[in-house]
Amino acid sequence: MRTIVVLAITSIVAFGGGGDLTAHHAFSAEFDIEKPLTVEGTLVKWDMINPHSWFHIEVTEEDGTVVPWQIEGGSPNELIRNGVTQNTVEIGTVLTIEGYRAKDGTEKAVGRNFVLADGSRLFLGGSGQRTGGGQ
Amino acid sequence: MFNQIRSSVWACGVVSVFLLVPSVAVAQSDGYRAPRTAEGTPDLNGIWQAINTAHWDIEPHGASQGTTRELGALNAMPGGLGVVEGDVIPYRPEALEQRNDNFANRVARDPTIKCYLPGVPRATYMPYPFQIIQSADHIMILHEFAGAVRTVYMQDHVPAPAPSWMGWSNGRWDGDTLVIETEGFNGMTWFDRSGNFHSDGLRVVERISARSPETLNYEVTIEDPEIFTRSWTMHMPLYRRVETNAELMEFRCVEFVEDLMYGHLRKQPD
Amino acid sequence: MANRIAGGWECRFSLIAVMVLSLAGTSVIGQEPGTDDYTVPRTADGDPDLQGFWSNQTYIPLERPDGVESAFYTDEEVAALEQGRAQGEAAQTTPGTIPDVHYDFTQFGLDRSQADFARNRRTSLIVDPPTGRLPPTNAEGQQRARNREAAREGIGRWDSAEANQLDDRCLIMRGAGPPMMNAGYNSNYQIVQNRDYVMILVEMIHDARIIPLDGREHPAASTRQWMGVPRGRWDGETLVVETTNFNGKNPFNGSSDQMRVIERFTRTGDDAITYTFTVEDSGTWDAPWTAEMLMTSTRGPLFEHGCHEGNYGLYNTLVGARLEERQAAEAASRQQQQR
Repeated sequence: MRTIVVLAITSIVAFGGGGDLTAHHAFSAEFDIEKPLTVEGTLVKWDMINPHSWFHIEVTEEDGTVVPWQIEGGSPNELIRNGVTQNTVEIGTVLTIEGYRAKDGTEKAVGRNFVLADGSRLFLGGSGQRTGGGQ
Repeated sequence: MFNQIRSSVWACGVVSVFLLVPSVAVAQSDGYRAPRTAEGTPDLNGIWQAINTAHWDIEPHGASQGTTRELGALNAMPGGLGVVEGDVIPYRPEALEQRNDNFANRVARDPTIKCYLPGVPRATYMPYPFQIIQSADHIMILHEFAGAVRTVYMQDHVPAPAPSWMGWSNGRWDGDTLVIETEGFNGMTWFDRSGNFHSDGLRVVERISARSPETLNYEVTIEDPEIFTRSWTMHMPLYRRVETNAELMEFRCVEFVEDLMYGHLRKQPD
Repeated sequence: MANRIAGGWECRFSLIAVMVLSLAGTSVIGQEPGTDDYTVPRTADGDPDLQGFWSNQTYIPLERPDGVESAFYTDEEVAALEQGRAQGEAAQTTPGTIPDVHYDFTQFGLDRSQADFARNRRTSLIVDPPTGRLPPTNAEGQQRARNREAAREGIGRWDSAEANQLDDRCLIMRGAGPPMMNAGYNSNYQIVQNRDYVMILVEMIHDARIIPLDGREHPAASTRQWMGVPRGRWDGETLVVETTNFNGKNPFNGSSDQMRVIERFTRTGDDAITYTFTVEDSGTWDAPWTAEMLMTSTRGPLFEHGCHEGNYGLYNTLVGARLEERQAAEAASRQQQQR
């Protein structure tokens, strides 16, 4: 039985409907695997759009300048089905975002992990703390 | 004397009635009553289309020069008597400047040129058919242009969860009139090709009723205090597409605008 | 592990809950294909009522995996499969790997394990041929595949918008169909019907299939569309939809524009629709083949999937690709100058 399950999982990854693998591929062309980062800022706006939502945050640099960043997240549709609305994540929420910077050189990133001030993850859980990551 | 007063009161009443009747652009048929759906609601099902120049410019306008020389007469704007009640959109002064600036830059800015979803009510009067499919809980309004979809929720009304291009529509019956209230716009759509615009605070109230077996009355009220000094209304008839087997075609226009939008990012030969 | 969202949120989607639900099978509607002791509700017009919000999400692949002989898993096997997938989905990706360069599906509720799906014990969606696999691609289909490859020769995926995949371009999702395959996420449909039409709204990319029931014929062969042209009729309790007039630009496993898809929708429970499709395409396969999917009810709404309107990703990717090329060219010319 174990063998069958392992085979099935492998095959499903290969054959399964939907674009999971290719979606990864497109993202790694948009964002730079060599440029992992962590940014912390306050939420100005969460664009609940498709195909991917965008978090607009303001990051305050050490010298005090405020730099706007745009962080790409997931489709909001399933969250909406669970009651999340444009008012759910309040403006001014402090977010720490681990991700990868855009290849186009601008203040854009894909948000791999969105963490609130108290250390909990925004929206839905995961398996706990990320390993590695970093600046 | 009593008779004089009575007849003048009567005349006054008649005159008052005439004054109260809005000067609609659409002649109201005498109490046409649409057939009923199996649920007992007025049957507005069908494929409908506007025939006017509102999609060019909702205000009254004469014919004018087009934007694209190669398209000659086909791109010139034809004249139209307008669909705005009172003829002039009541813009705030700074908004009017924005509208005029939109007009001057309409080729760059008109969102439908890029096959973006057209919003409401523009989708209704763009020169493409749309289809109404009614059921008990939902009325679907399906547009040929860009395959735009409107779900009108007839039960369990909730506010818009987030802004969108086509807005969030809650509908109800008011007698024989379908009343649709739509909010939750993202502010990125226009009303026409001439730069008439709104903010994300737009609220649209449509009143749709059967005028005859082959026509609908369509009345739409626009509320957007950030942009306009008061609410205002458009009227127009909508015409049934009566040809046998009328059908919406796919107009998946994204593939027709990729060169326009992304051509400058094409890899050049070495 | 409480999930913090302003305004309050029930803990339903914590990982532990997901795993418990997977084990218990309660995120899954136990639906055996072929239940027939159910009275289908009627619409006011007297037709079988297929309306509602439906998900066809599944872990079952189109074709039976290598090494799997049986047409059905046991209950234990499929539960283990689902649990394994849920665990894999919830696990964190490894930093510095390609899968890590992505938003986390789990955070946004987009994992397959977090979707509504009907437990399907089949080992493949294909039920005919009995091998559970597609018939072999015939010579014409193979030639078309070779032609497609040749046309892509020397073209990089990021060379232009047109060189990208259809879903990256927000033109159509590959599995939108028909046949309507499950998408990686948001694999949802809204069915609205009346006496004359059944409308099936595919969530991504807001594709409304408008299916007339009046017996009209398909249009001329010169009229071709991405999702073809559908024609529907009731066959007892089953909605039968025949679709032809495909433009062939979104091939289904290599299909041609001659493909004819016959779909059948039968409501087998309050929360269940059995969805089968038969594909005939003599330009690709010498025999028709049939698959069966299970749809389960899910919650609405289908929020506007304005893909093209929000497609910053395509723009960003092209800008980034051109920038990298310029940087590489500049680096190469600097090296030249140094020699």
